[in-house]
This record gives sequence, structure tokens and C-alpha cells, in this order.
Amino acid sequence: MKKNRRPIRPGEVVKYILFTLLALIYILPLVWVLNVSVKTNAQLFSDPFGLSAAPQWVNYYVAFFTAGLGVALKNSFIVCTVTLVVSMIVGAMAAFGIARLHWKASGPCLLYYMTGMMVPVHCVLIPLFVTFSKIGLVNNLFGLTLPYITFSLPITIFILNGFFQSMPHELLEAACIDGANIYDCFFRIALPLAKSGLFVTGLMTFIGNWNELLVAMVFISDPIKKTLPVSLTSFASPYATNYTQMFAAIVISVLPTIIVYCIFSDKIVSGLTAGAVKG
Amino acid sequence: MSMKKAMSVLLTAALASSMLVGCGSSASTGTAAATSAAAAATSTAAATSAAAATSAAAAATSAAASGDVKELTWMFWDDLDTSTDLITQLYKKNIDRFNAENNGYHVTAITTSLDDYYTKLNALIAANQAPDMITLSPGTYMDVYQQSAEIQPLNSYLDANADWKNSFSSGMMDGSTYDGQIYGIPTNFAAACCYYNKDMFTKAGITEVPADWDTFVADCDKLKAAGFTPITCSESTAWCLSMIAGYCMNRNGVDYDKLNAGTAHWTDDNVLSGINDMVTLTKYFQDTALGDSNDQATANFYNEQAAILVQGSWAIAQMNGANSDIQSKCGVFSFPTKDGSAGDMIVKCDNISMMSTTKNPEGVIKFMQTFTDDTAQKATVEECGKLPVTNVQYDASKAPSQCQDITNILKNIKGSIGFYNEQVYNTEAGDLFDNTMVSVAMGDMTPEDGQKALEDWYTANAWK
Amino acid sequence: MEKMLRSKKAILFFEAPALLLFTLILFVPIINDIWLSFCNYDAINPAVFCGVENFVAIFKDPVFVNAVKNTIFFMLFSLLTQQICGLLLAAILHNFKWGKNVYKNIIYLPNVLSSAALALLFCFLLKPKMGLNALLAMVGIKGPNWLMSVKGYLPLTLWVIGIVSLWIYVGSTMMLYMAGIAGIDQSLFEAAYIDGASRKQTFFRITLPLLKPMTKTTVSLTCIGSLKFFDLVYNMTQSGPNNKTQTIATWLYKQGFQFFKYGYASAMSVVLLILCLVTTLIVNVSINTKEFEG
Repeated sequence: MKKNRRPIRPGEVVKYILFTLLALIYILPLVWVLNVSVKTNAQLFSDPFGLSAAPQWVNYYVAFFTAGLGVALKNSFIVCTVTLVVSMIVGAMAAFGIARLHWKASGPCLLYYMTGMMVPVHCVLIPLFVTFSKIGLVNNLFGLTLPYITFSLPITIFILNGFFQSMPHELLEAACIDGANIYDCFFRIALPLAKSGLFVTGLMTFIGNWNELLVAMVFISDPIKKTLPVSLTSFASPYATNYTQMFAAIVISVLPTIIVYCIFSDKIVSGLTAGAVKG
Repeated sequence: MSMKKAMSVLLTAALASSMLVGCGSSASTGTAAATSAAAAATSTAAATSAAAATSAAAAATSAAASGDVKELTWMFWDDLDTSTDLITQLYKKNIDRFNAENNGYHVTAITTSLDDYYTKLNALIAANQAPDMITLSPGTYMDVYQQSAEIQPLNSYLDANADWKNSFSSGMMDGSTYDGQIYGIPTNFAAACCYYNKDMFTKAGITEVPADWDTFVADCDKLKAAGFTPITCSESTAWCLSMIAGYCMNRNGVDYDKLNAGTAHWTDDNVLSGINDMVTLTKYFQDTALGDSNDQATANFYNEQAAILVQGSWAIAQMNGANSDIQSKCGVFSFPTKDGSAGDMIVKCDNISMMSTTKNPEGVIKFMQTFTDDTAQKATVEECGKLPVTNVQYDASKAPSQCQDITNILKNIKGSIGFYNEQVYNTEAGDLFDNTMVSVAMGDMTPEDGQKALEDWYTANAWK
Repeated sequence: MEKMLRSKKAILFFEAPALLLFTLILFVPIINDIWLSFCNYDAINPAVFCGVENFVAIFKDPVFVNAVKNTIFFMLFSLLTQQICGLLLAAILHNFKWGKNVYKNIIYLPNVLSSAALALLFCFLLKPKMGLNALLAMVGIKGPNWLMSVKGYLPLTLWVIGIVSLWIYVGSTMMLYMAGIAGIDQSLFEAAYIDGASRKQTFFRITLPLLKPMTKTTVSLTCIGSLKFFDLVYNMTQSGPNNKTQTIATWLYKQGFQFFKYGYASAMSVVLLILCLVTTLIVNVSINTKEFEG
């Protein structure tokens, strides 16, 4: 306690107050979601703010069992984990090659990868689906991971390229003098040092794919292979949407990402404090 | 240090395994053509068993025993398990019944939300994976698939089965008939009517439901004077407003067939009167009509915050489900006319169409028959508040009272018309109609500018 | 060392998996898409070549021209607000003694959630009877119709969507900047303090210049992300009222998948692709990071 004897400056108090207000702006809408997820649809429209006198926990039960959210959770988890692991490794390799190896086409190659970020997925959806159905990869979770991996690559490469570029040249040089080959340099030095970058991009990849709807919706028809976002759409009927159950389902579907995020966010912090530069 | 070493070992291992996966994937791309048939076969088998397990256990065991059950797929725009829509729940029962019949066919539903329906359907068609049958509404969407010959005429099947053909009420297939060829079997239909709160009408001193336009407007004034919101409607959900706009157009004699053919124009005076009538009604809408969604607007009615709701009969079940008091308070009347006649009724009809590529037309017909047999049609009106397409006798006391009211109204109507946004030239014209009406209603466009926008689009696209 | 870095075998080893996946799964369909932009194609019937007809048509289409305007507005708005707010938040949070991670995680939270679900949430909160306006009504203010205001060249609704997108995505920019700030050698700051530099001076003289590579990254991500803006608009306003909030991505989706004009939609996607490429080029040229590379 003695450490904190330095008087707190008023400027800091203001900062904390401002950030607490900001945090409230972020949390309150989500609290609202939690609140309406245990209401009935009629209550949602007549009294959107009040606390529900009789919470409709049944919404969660229905969302989980009737809408098949349990199976969808499993499917999403499989697809996203496979995508995460493969895209990180392939992406890190490609980024390292561009950032660190010396070849003339590295610049154009990066641009080539980046075009993938610029194309709206709607444009490639039908050609991709036609090709995949010819080779029997539709209605298949493995088939779904391939486009997911590929769509995740551009951003992974882009961000990791930055991390590898900012890595001090001396580190690799030293390793080289010690007799390491280029593969050692990558796996033993560059990759561990880019840890914080890997966590950031991994998180982006995982969450992006966790929430991806369009490709999954077109590629998967079989109810037992549906992913979470596809299951979430089942609450919208043509003439009426079952909002409260949908919000309950949304809460269920975001819980895993929040848990994953909490685990990852600690790693990011430790990765950062370990410091890529101090090494 | 040891931590780092462990980490690098782990990553190396992960990489090695990923390379294997990578090799596997590229190899599979190369040889997949050869193995695709096998993969497809196993995946259908898996789908079949899974679907059967979830739907009807009896059918699954018998299917497994006989071993030669043919698989059918049907595409629909609502989820069969989670939907609160009663007609969707009935469809699920119909499917379970069909599968339990053990008639040599087993059907699996491919469901999406309505938003994604055509995206998925077109992708399946493009990849030669079209389902055996699909759900369509008559109008612009059915036109698309009829013109590209994706769906096939059903006349020969209907003619071969006279009992079935004759069971339909007259005129039910008009919407799905092209040059005498029938491209869709209706399964039920919904009529767009005015629902009103009897209590509020009495309190406002209205003794009789309005039959003509002027009385209707006068009654709205009375309701307003009595402190009620006369009409609840969503202007941001385009089709809700378009339904009212469609009625206003129709009551002024606007004929979309003539407009599509180019023998009438959007700049005609009757279009202007139609738009002006709609604008008149918007003045009686709730204050928040512009922002309220369809669900909110309907909730305003069943929570008794507004006196009149113009909606399809699909809303009956939703209203009665949300507020059990409303059934006794809610009456129905037909949208008023200007010429003293009973007028046309806007109807929305679900159809099932057979894809041209199906290998099991007999199975598809059997499926259609299940959806239109007496059991299904009776349940349509008694349980779901929609209207049957066949001449089935049903127990009026079981159906919601509003259904009986609508059935009575339908006995007197002059004819039926589709939704305006689905009966205009094509889906894009429908979207333009919706958007123009919203813009005029919110005062962003004058009625004349709205007419011009529609006329310009038709000149450029429809009357080439 | 140099020889090792030039090894063809190593280059092949590092690039081959990504190149292979990328070419097969993304590039081939993109080429297909570009070909379709020169065709009349409805996704059901076979495509018919029609030359540049689609490109002529889209630039005559007032909705498309408006969509380009909206898209560029969203890009510039996101760029400015996210850069300023993201950097500011990161710089302030970095010096927090306690609660740093809590605040950071809360602000980043929307990025973990599905943007479609968040759009739906805000669609609710901005409806006239719910959320914001109900709160404003308590203090006697009649709130505007947030999602249905179309007056003016840049109507209120566009700003509302822009602010919601800021709410969602600023955390991501902030996070990247915090990673960047943490990567700066602490001894530089210490040296600056010893030399008597103020906080302001160290921020502008040390932090900011050293963050340049990260600025390039965040600017590129924000620009390309907002050019492809889809989920928020599609779920908050359905591009309405009367196509006033249409963006290129939502309009091409509507033309392609709802009006069955796939070729026409492909032409728009090619324009979008070119827009993205030009933006990237501008970003790359204007933010020069060469001097910081090792």
C-alpha cells in the first residue's frame, strides 16, 4: 500500500470518470439484451426497459434445444478451431517469407494476397459453391473450413507482415551466426517473438469465422451440420420474428467467444509485456 | 527458456500436422472428382438417417427395413422446428405424416430464412443440386423460375388425378397459371383485411364498420377525436405500407396488368388518386409509424394502443397468442371501396412448385397431395388461421373467430389480387414501388415525383 | 546470411501453401467474377457476353452513384473517427495504473460479437418507442427518427450508422495501437523524461512517429473494412428508406441475389475492387514507412 502514496492528480480522476462512462456506454446495451432475452415478445414491445417480473428462462431452453444450438455450437467450434490453427500457420509462414526473405516479387505478392481482403464475399460465393459442389465439398464441415482459411489468410498475412517487419534484424543475424538455418529462424525465433501478433490475428480470425453467415448458409443444408449464425437465422419468420428467443440464442452464441476472448486477452497482455523487442 | 523451447516444439508439431492437412487438402482437390460420388453418397446417407431420426422414428425403421426409400428435398423459407408461425408448424406435421406413411418416399426440408431463400436456391440451381420441389409465391418470383424453365407444369399430373384437381376451390391456381399451364399447387392462402378493436369503435361512437371510403375516413376522424390512434402500420417495413398503398390503388381502378403491358401509365390520374388516398391514411397512423417495425405495429394493435390494423390473416395467430383478450374484441372488415361494391381482396398464397430436374415427380405429387388433403386443409383454417385452398368442410367453432369473419367476407368479394409489390413488372419494380410509397408517405417525395420515378423506370425497363 | 534469405527453396516452402490456397479458392472465383461483369447473367440461365453494357448501366444508375457516395462517406468518417479516437484511447489507457485491462477489454468487446447481432440490437435501441428516444422523452426531448431521416446530402441516418460502427470497431484500432505503443522501447520514454520532455512532447515526438507502421496497418484495415460495409447497413436500415443508405456492397447484394442481375452485380463488385486497390495504393504512398524498416 505504501507504494501508492503519491497523491492522485485531479486529471487522473477525470480520466477514470470518463472511461467509466465510456465503459457504461459499452455495457448497457448488452445488459439490455440480457434483460429482453428473458421476456416474452409482447413484453418486449410494451415495456422494453422494465425488469421482467417472471423471467422466461424457457427462452434459453427453447433456443438451445429446439433450434439445435447445441449441435451448432459444436460445429462452429470444430470449423473455427481448424481454421484458426491452419490459417495462423500458413499465414505466418507466408508473412515471414514476404517480410524477411529477399525476393523481387515479395511486394506484388503481398498485394496479391491483399486483393483477397478487398473482394466482397458475395461476388465469389456462387462460383465457389459451384466448384465445391463438383468436388463434393458442400454440405461438409471440412469443405467449409477451406474458404474460411483462405478468407482469413489476407488479414493474417497483412498484420503478421507488420510484426515480422518490425522485428530487429540483429536477432536473425545473431541466430544465423550461431548456425541456425532459415527454418530455425522462423520456428524458434520469429514465430515466438510474434506471439502477440499471432494472438491478435488469431482472435480476429476465430471471431470473424464464428460469426460468418453467408458462406455457411449457402454451403450447409443439413440441419446437423449447421453452424451458429445459420441457426440464429431460424428465429426470423417471414411475418414475425421471435425476438426474445433470438436474443436468448444470441447470448448463448456469444458466450464462447467472450470466454475465448478472456483467455486470449490475458495472453495478449503477457505477450506484450514480455515485449517483442526486449525478447 | 525452457518455456520457449516447449513452445517452439509445440509449434513445429502443429506445423507438421498442418502440412499433412495441407497436403491432404490439395490431394483431395486433385482426386476429388473421383471420390466425390462416394462422398456424396455417404453424406446423403448420413442426412437421411439423421433427418429420419429427428422426424419420425417409425418411418426410419421401416425405411431401413425396406431399403429402397427414395429421398426428396423440399425448400422452404422458415425453420420448421423453431418457428412460432402456426402454418410452419402445420407444414412440419404434414411432413412427418408424409414420412410416416411409408409410401416409398422420404422428404427432407432445406430451410433458410426468407432473406436468404433465393440466394441459397439460386446457388443450388447453379450447382445442379436443386431440390425436388420449392416454395414460391405467385408473382414476380415465380415468373423468374417459370421463364427459365426451372419449374415444370403440373397439368398432366392434375389431369391424371381428377379427384385431386376438383378438390381445389375455383380460381385458386390462377396466380400460378401461365398460358394454361399450372406451375404451382397452392397450399393455403391469407387475405389482407382490416382488423378493428370493437371496444374502441363503440367508445368512438361508431356503430357499423365502414364499407365505403368516405365513411372510413370519417370513422378515423371519430377515433382520433375520441383519443385513439386510428390505424397502426409500419412504414419502415415496406410491404406493410405497400399493402395499404395497393388497396388504395386498386380502389381507384389502377390495374397492374395494364401497367405492365404499357396500356396504362403510372402518370395516370387514378394512380395519383391512389397515392393521395394512401397519404390521407398516413395521417391517421400512429406517431411512430415511420420507425416502427411490422412486429411493433402489430403489437400496437394487440396491446390495444390502436384501433385498426391492416394485415394478412397470418397475423391472427400471432395476435391471439400474444393477448388472449383480443380475440373477443377483434372484428374484421374488408378494405373500403369507393364505388360501393365489395371490391377485390389482396391475397397471399403459398405454392409448391416441382423443379424440372427432379427424378421423382411421382413422389413430389404425393407430397403436394399430403399438403392439400382434407387433414391438412382443415388444420390450415382450424389451427393456423389461414384459409384453405380446397372445398374442405371444417369446424368453424374450432377456428379463431376472426377466421370465420374473413371467410364470410370472402364469400362476397369481387375478386382477388396479389400483393402490389409482387404483381408489378418484376422484383426490382416491386422494390421501387415499395420505396416510392415509403418516400411519399414520409414526405420526402411528392406524389407526382413518385409517379414520375415509377414511370421512368417502366419506360427504361418494362416498355422497351 | 544473405544467401540464406535468398534461397529459392525457402521462399517456396514459406509461400507455397498460402499461394496455392489463395489462388484456387479466391483468385479463380475473382477472375470468374470479373468475366461475369461483362455478361448478362441471372445465376440461373447461362451467361451471355454483353461487353461493357453493365459498366455503362451502373454509372447511369442513381442508386449506385448514391451508394458510392455513401461508401466513401463511411470510409472517410470511419477513418477520421477511428484513427483519432483509437489512438487517443490507446495513449491514455496505456498510462493507466490500474484497470487498464478491464477498460480495454470492455471497449474491445463489441469486436468479439457478431456485427449482424449488434446491428439488430441498435436497430431496436434506435426505434422510436424504445431505447434512446424513450430515455430522451423522460427528460422531455422528442428524439429524431434516427434510422429514417433522409433530409440533406448526408442525412442523419448515415451519421448514426457511422457512429454505431465507431462504437463497434474503435476497440480494434485501439487494441492495435496499444500493441504498437507497448512495442516501443521503454528506454526511449525514460530518456525523454530525463531530458525533461513533457508528456505531450513525448507523445508527439516519440510515440506518434514510431507508431507510423501501425498507423499504416490500421488505416488500411479501416478503409478496406468500411468500403465493404455490409452487415450494419443491411441489418439496421435494410439500406432504406428508399435506398438512401445503400452502400456498394448492399446494393450489389440486392441486385445480384434479389433482382437476379448477377452480371450487373459483378460489375459493381469490380468497381468496388478497383476502389479498394486505389485506396490501398494511396495509403501506401501517403504513409511512407521505409525509414523505419530494419
